Amino acid sequence: MTSTRSDRPPDGPPDLALEASGLGRRFGDRWAVRGVDLAVRRGEVLGLLGPNGAGKTTTVRLLTALIEPSEGTASIDGFDVRDEADDVRARVGILTETPGLYDKLPAIANLDFFGRLYGLDAAQRAERIERYLRLFGLWDRRDDVAGTFSKGMKQKLAIARALLHDPSVVFLDEPTAALDPEAAFIVREAIETLRRAGRTIVLATHNLDEADRLCDRIAFVRGGLVRVDSPAALRGVLGLRELMVRLSGVASEAQIEAVRTVDGVSATQVTDGVLRIGTDDPESIAPAVVRALVVSGADVVELRPERASLERIYFEVMGVTPSTDGIEDVV
Amino acid sequence: MRRAIVATILQREWYETVRNRLLMSTILLPPILLTVAPIILAGAVGERALPPELERQILSQKPEWASFTPGELAGAFAVQQFLVFFLLMPAYIPLSIATFSIIGEKQSRSLEPVLAAPIRTSELLAGKAIAALVPGLLAGWATYAIFVLLASVVYGPALFGVVTDLSWLAGVFLLGPAVGLSSVVAGVIVSARVNDPRVAQQVGGVVIVPVIALVLVQATGTLLVGPLGYLLLSVGVLAISLVGLRVGVRLFDREAILTRWR
Repeated sequence: MTSTRSDRPPDGPPDLALEASGLGRRFGDRWAVRGVDLAVRRGEVLGLLGPNGAGKTTTVRLLTALIEPSEGTASIDGFDVRDEADDVRARVGILTETPGLYDKLPAIANLDFFGRLYGLDAAQRAERIERYLRLFGLWDRRDDVAGTFSKGMKQKLAIARALLHDPSVVFLDEPTAALDPEAAFIVREAIETLRRAGRTIVLATHNLDEADRLCDRIAFVRGGLVRVDSPAALRGVLGLRELMVRLSGVASEAQIEAVRTVDGVSATQVTDGVLRIGTDDPESIAPAVVRALVVSGADVVELRPERASLERIYFEVMGVTPSTDGIEDVV
Repeated sequence: MRRAIVATILQREWYETVRNRLLMSTILLPPILLTVAPIILAGAVGERALPPELERQILSQKPEWASFTPGELAGAFAVQQFLVFFLLMPAYIPLSIATFSIIGEKQSRSLEPVLAAPIRTSELLAGKAIAALVPGLLAGWATYAIFVLLASVVYGPALFGVVTDLSWLAGVFLLGPAVGLSSVVAGVIVSARVNDPRVAQQVGGVVIVPVIALVLVQATGTLLVGPLGYLLLSVGVLAISLVGLRVGVRLFDREAILTRWR
């Protein structure tokens, strides 16, 4: 076998698959990302969450040794992305923004080509190609050219390609972008399968629900890492829980003001006729909120503690307040 | 450079090339025409003698043809024009394959997963360059071999001697590969900048212009290039190609492909 993978023991901590320190990349005068500090444990699923142009793809390219950092360091299994790029590339699998398959080649030939590039021998290629095509339900279509596949099938084939050489870390860059709901579901199920199998995954996405469902931790990216934590911890640390109150009518200013005087209330907002009350502990303040509303003349129909949506966490962390000014005029 | 990796890339390139009908038709049709056309032309010239002035001009440059009959001399002069056509195959076939290959990968965005693998860009470029160059050279040489065979069978030893003299051998086996390399280099450089294979071929087709110029110069009989001339031309084209190759290698850098190729 012509192996392209160095067998020397990794230098990094054995429980860490990926480390980055002060990582940054500049294009001309513009920094795409800067100051990325990151440590990903084996078997962890880390989400890179951010808007388009936030630097997610650049971060993925830096961590997979596709481009060189302008500053800082990063390593995969202890191998440096700058000085040991070939070793890094042998240890990572990547699903790029587009599947990037060879449309005129059958599925099996697409995978075989990459198996050869990664130095797998014929027996390894045959065994792994069958394993992953079966895992993703593509075995029956193995001899069909990739150009005849649906978008979801192409993404699954591209994920199989990323796994073929048994990488330490799998990078998935916008795996469900531009897919219809059915195809996106299929791809998410495939990622869920990998997660259950204990794979270390870095998932770049701007899909909040996807990140919430699939990731152990989320790194918010905007020209660098704004914050890294688990979805649950983010909700806890940011105090992002809510008390949802539905009244028989529209809440008046006086009633909202009465709620604001209750201890533990951090914010109030009326959306779709529902009063949303920001708090660390919705269960504790609920009786006091009800009393305040009743005293101010409101009829409470429903009251429910809720966890804040990742969307709200996202806006909070990113310091973004999306403006809806003018939308109603247009509508 | 690891041969196994280059061979893997080469194999995939050829697999896709033979499945591209448009590309295959542009590769296969001209060699067939170029094999048959000179034979028909030499036959059409037949026993017709050349104008005395042209005859004198030719014999002053090719004194070894003095023993030819007027008909053989006319046939030899007619056939001589076709040597440069055998240079066109190593020029346009690699250009077509290289531009289709590189721009095809740009359009399907299939280079990024390849570049994410532990391969060197020199191996990728070598695989693509060989995949483009070899069919052009083989087509040129195979067509030449068939042409020589037909010429000797149909027109006898005089024309056989003409098409296998040192000028022809230097042209086909030295200048041909040099022109082929320049064509691949042009294909790589142009393909890095444009996104339509047809545009790339038109722009890259600049490499064919000197070959056409050579055709015109020879057709007038004012200059019949000899073995030394072909040797010097080969060295010159090779030198230009190697300079171009440095530019091509820079454009084929991993970062350049990922961040600048659009």
